[in-house]
Amino acid sequence: MSFEDEVDAIEADTILGGEPFFSRAGGKIFIIWLVFTVIGVLIGFYAPHHLLPTLLSPEGGDVWATIVFFTVLAAPVAAFVYALAFYSLIAWRHKGNQDEPPPDAAPQRGNGPMTVLWLGVSTLLVVVLLFWGITVWSAQQISHPNTLQVNVTGQQWIWSYSYPGTGVSTHTLDLPLNRPVQFNVTSEDVTHGFWPAALGVQVDANPGVVTVIRSTPNKLGNFTVQCSQLCGLYHAFMNTKAAVVTPQQFASWLQSQGATPSAANTEAGTTPTAGTTTAMASS
Amino acid sequence: MTDNEPEGGASAASPARAPKAKPVGVIVTFVVALVAIGGVAAFFMSQTYTSPNYPSGLQVATSLGTAVVNGQSMPHVALQFQTYPDSTGTVDGKPVHASGNPSWPAYGFTNEFQVPAHSLVTVTVHQFDSGGSLNNPFFSKVAGTVGGTATVTDPSGKSQTITQWDPNNIGHTFTMRGAPGFDPGFFLNVPLPTNSNFPTNSTNQDAGQSYTVTFSFISGGKGIYAWNCEYPCGSMVASFGGVMGAYGFMSGFVHVV
Amino acid sequence: MTTAVAPPLLEDTELGPKAGGFYRHQNIFTGLGFGIGLGFIGWLVSHALLQGSNWGSDMVVTCTMFAWVIGFNIGMGTFNAPIRWMLGHDQTHEDELYAAGVGQGASRYLKFCTDHKVVGTQYLVLVMVLFGVGGTLAMMIRTQLITPHSSFLDPQTYNSIVTIHGMVMIIATIIMVSGPFANFIMPIMIGAKDMAFPRLNAMSFWVVVSAVPCLLATFFLGGVNAGWTTYAPLSVQAPPAMDTFALTIITFVVSVTVAGINTIVTVVTMRAKGMTMGRLPIFTWGTVVGSALGLYAMPAFLLVMTMMITDRATGTSFFVPQIGGSQWLYENIFWIMGHPEVYVILLPGVAAVLEITSTFARKPMFAYKVAIAGFVAIGVLAIMVWAHHMFTTGWAPNLAAPFMLTTELISIPTGIIFLCVIGTLWKGSIWTRLPMYFVYLFLWNFIIGGVTGIYLSDVPADQYFHGDMFVTAHFHYTLLGGAMIGATAAVCYWFPKMTGRMLNERIGKVAFWVIAAGIQITYFGQFWEGFQGMARRVAYYDPKFLDANVMSTVGAYILMSGWILFLYMMLHAWRNGAKAPANPWHAKTLEWKVPTPVPLENFLVDPVVTSDPYTYGEGVPDGQEVPDFAPSEEPELVPAGSTGPGDPGESGEVR
Repeated sequence: MSFEDEVDAIEADTILGGEPFFSRAGGKIFIIWLVFTVIGVLIGFYAPHHLLPTLLSPEGGDVWATIVFFTVLAAPVAAFVYALAFYSLIAWRHKGNQDEPPPDAAPQRGNGPMTVLWLGVSTLLVVVLLFWGITVWSAQQISHPNTLQVNVTGQQWIWSYSYPGTGVSTHTLDLPLNRPVQFNVTSEDVTHGFWPAALGVQVDANPGVVTVIRSTPNKLGNFTVQCSQLCGLYHAFMNTKAAVVTPQQFASWLQSQGATPSAANTEAGTTPTAGTTTAMASS
Repeated sequence: MTDNEPEGGASAASPARAPKAKPVGVIVTFVVALVAIGGVAAFFMSQTYTSPNYPSGLQVATSLGTAVVNGQSMPHVALQFQTYPDSTGTVDGKPVHASGNPSWPAYGFTNEFQVPAHSLVTVTVHQFDSGGSLNNPFFSKVAGTVGGTATVTDPSGKSQTITQWDPNNIGHTFTMRGAPGFDPGFFLNVPLPTNSNFPTNSTNQDAGQSYTVTFSFISGGKGIYAWNCEYPCGSMVASFGGVMGAYGFMSGFVHVV
Repeated sequence: MTTAVAPPLLEDTELGPKAGGFYRHQNIFTGLGFGIGLGFIGWLVSHALLQGSNWGSDMVVTCTMFAWVIGFNIGMGTFNAPIRWMLGHDQTHEDELYAAGVGQGASRYLKFCTDHKVVGTQYLVLVMVLFGVGGTLAMMIRTQLITPHSSFLDPQTYNSIVTIHGMVMIIATIIMVSGPFANFIMPIMIGAKDMAFPRLNAMSFWVVVSAVPCLLATFFLGGVNAGWTTYAPLSVQAPPAMDTFALTIITFVVSVTVAGINTIVTVVTMRAKGMTMGRLPIFTWGTVVGSALGLYAMPAFLLVMTMMITDRATGTSFFVPQIGGSQWLYENIFWIMGHPEVYVILLPGVAAVLEITSTFARKPMFAYKVAIAGFVAIGVLAIMVWAHHMFTTGWAPNLAAPFMLTTELISIPTGIIFLCVIGTLWKGSIWTRLPMYFVYLFLWNFIIGGVTGIYLSDVPADQYFHGDMFVTAHFHYTLLGGAMIGATAAVCYWFPKMTGRMLNERIGKVAFWVIAAGIQITYFGQFWEGFQGMARRVAYYDPKFLDANVMSTVGAYILMSGWILFLYMMLHAWRNGAKAPANPWHAKTLEWKVPTPVPLENFLVDPVVTSDPYTYGEGVPDGQEVPDFAPSEEPELVPAGSTGPGDPGESGEVR
């Protein structure tokens, strides 16, 4: 076959050709794309639903929603690249003698419209992702009235918590349901990572500064606080049992920990400014 | 377009068939590679700071019969250890630590303990070391023991029951929590007192004064607890470097079987 | 075509008995001897002067290892030429020929040899050794993690192994493409006789070699327990091993900086006549942009490690908050290096993939100029994204949104690279030889790695995923599944030129499938762990993560088997493979136009370049050619890259 005939034969098998859709190039690519998209979307729903721990706050819910949304957006894009790559093996793989290269293909050094489309779609996706991320992040920065202050101190290799104003300091973290909480986190020695994963928030515990993170637990349940920043020998053991309990249970728990009578009040504490060292509640 | 001929070699338009790779060659390479990996791994492990699996030996808790706690009957066992100022020192000729370091204290004679599951464990500690102030007064409070208290006998022999000690006169602590996922509610902290003019004796480690601390806790099911000292007696940042960061000195495991 | 007598081969030159001076007596054994000797002297002196002081063991370790590095390089002959030059005696032509390996046979691989092809091969062997060490450490990590509370390793040993695994792999991946291939292949590809600075080239290799024992010495000095990122203040608290770790980095950065300068100057000044920047193979572009990015980023690493040593050994307070320093200062400078560094790792591998795709699709590279723009855009953006590693540190919350913006923007030029690969494959004539297999695996893996990076770039989601195994799986997919598989494709592609042998592709294809399966199983297991909320760098974990960890460990063993099989294939072919023709892939870049084995100074006659190397299917004569032996005229000297007679310009037409 002459070079020109070869090119014609390839051209004929195009998306716009006359044969039934699924035996044409476009159809085959579409099927592969569909398969990968469905797999991706299923992963996007399955993974958060079955694999994430029970999330106990709207911030945790944001994590879940972000994973689903991003996967649903990314799956068709990834699937498109996979479909084209796989189709190239189906349609254009040289099947003859592998010791010699196949004849050269028809040259195509670029396709302006395709490049512009590719750039345009990726830019659009980035804008959408960014908009989502900034919206969610801004919502989490708002501070609320009636915030419970919890001082979190990381030390090699134990977390300890104190509730300012009550005189209570403990090794477990209990939080009342539906009340905004602000964690004022610091460290006595090296950098630790305060990570209550079920609340969907995280901030490092840095020596010498207080960093702040907020959450509003809205589901009852038990969870674990882990250390997410390697802090030496027993980093793996730096876990705390934590729970979201009803406000009544919370009040009686505080009492049992030896709270002073002002424990029952629900004033919002003052927010320490960054750079100050939190004084430990003295017992 | 011509291909340049390779210098002095066979010129072939296509690559000649490679000699067949014999299966025995593949197997030999695989075995050699595995042996090399294993050898390199063993070498690294032997050169690292401490080796696992009880470098100082394992203390198995001794049986004291049974006890009744909150109406429940359970086995009762005992553990005992000392805190010494110098890990290169000896007591009656026996070294207090398997691989000592001159400026480091030690928990002697071992940092690995074994207790039975669901038992009442009574621990007796003799504290022979000096001390000072905690970084975090949280660790001056007794937590997680049966009754929430510990018994301290000072060098003059006077005993008292405590729920916390002066955070400025702590020698060491015994702070324990479960391995990840094991007994998550468990947290034990017992301050081991010292006083401000405590002499430390390097050669005969138990010749000085000692505070004796006794406490009990209830072990969980089969698993591991990790314990470490929270009084910063090391060097470098926050005095938590040096001895504090070296496994087997101010840290260890309690195995529950 | 005129017939002429072949000029005598440069490598057959007879040298006098004194040619080379000290080089005659220097090789890796004298290097080791001098290194150990000077290191011992360094230990003696520093121990005597400093041991009793507060600075004690940190300074002693630093001085000892520094003395080792200097001593090793003295023994290798790295400093011979500068010292002779300073004394007023430059090297004679015979000395330079000796230094280039003439008359030494295979022993030149154990010596300071300025021939870029020897340096490239030395780098290839070094990279293989480093991957062996790093891989062994990885297998130890995964073996520990097959059960939740394993007694295989104690926590301190485990942390040290995690740290050194990371650092060995970082070093190996930085040099895995730019070491062997930017040294061996790139100068030939641009039509040059060698690199711009041949002695610096050899120096960069032996300096890296001297850094490796510094890194492994950490196991003997207490182990570094702070992860390869060695965050302060934990690393300031670490045992004396941290000082030798920091010295490793400082030494390594010197090597990488020198190599980067060498690469860029070579490409800018030593291209053959007619080789304009617009006709440069894409691989060369990738290595240039990668090297330029490295020149920007690596000095920050050297800086931060120097400050670390002074913090530890002399009590400065850069990073220790308790005495007025800032851990955030460390983290910022580190990541100002750390993020561009991953693109230093990635770009050469991606460029090799693009080169290979064009050859094996028998089609010109799709959107060549757009790909170059993509590389440059990645390079520029890479400088502006570093704080996405710090979203959860509590540092500057107002900067979360800007860094989220720049990080998500970087996915646009990365996407362009995919466009170029897919566009080259589209309607190509795909020749599925072994390098092409790895190109497809690269595509598969890098999409997964890149997409999962998008989750991490979203600040609210990063609050869940930071510090957990999801991050580990993401960067292993991009670095191992992406960059390293690209490097593997490059090995398969250029092996015939570098060793003169063909790889046995039957074994190669089996190894390929085992590696491909191993990667998916290992790192999907780690994504699973990450979703469940398992922290990274932990020696013990909650039993609820058991299934995912078993999957990952089993995958790791499968992956290890694949790599061992691949190693076997390489070693077997190196010794007994079929002899390779000069151009087994019928490619159009200049390195395939020279004979195999490649003569000293590469070209017997200077090449003439009249087009880019992607003229597949265009019905024009090959524009990157090495003529047959020319008649007695010397070609006129023309500045690199200029147009001259025979240059058709942009249209590709030949006059």
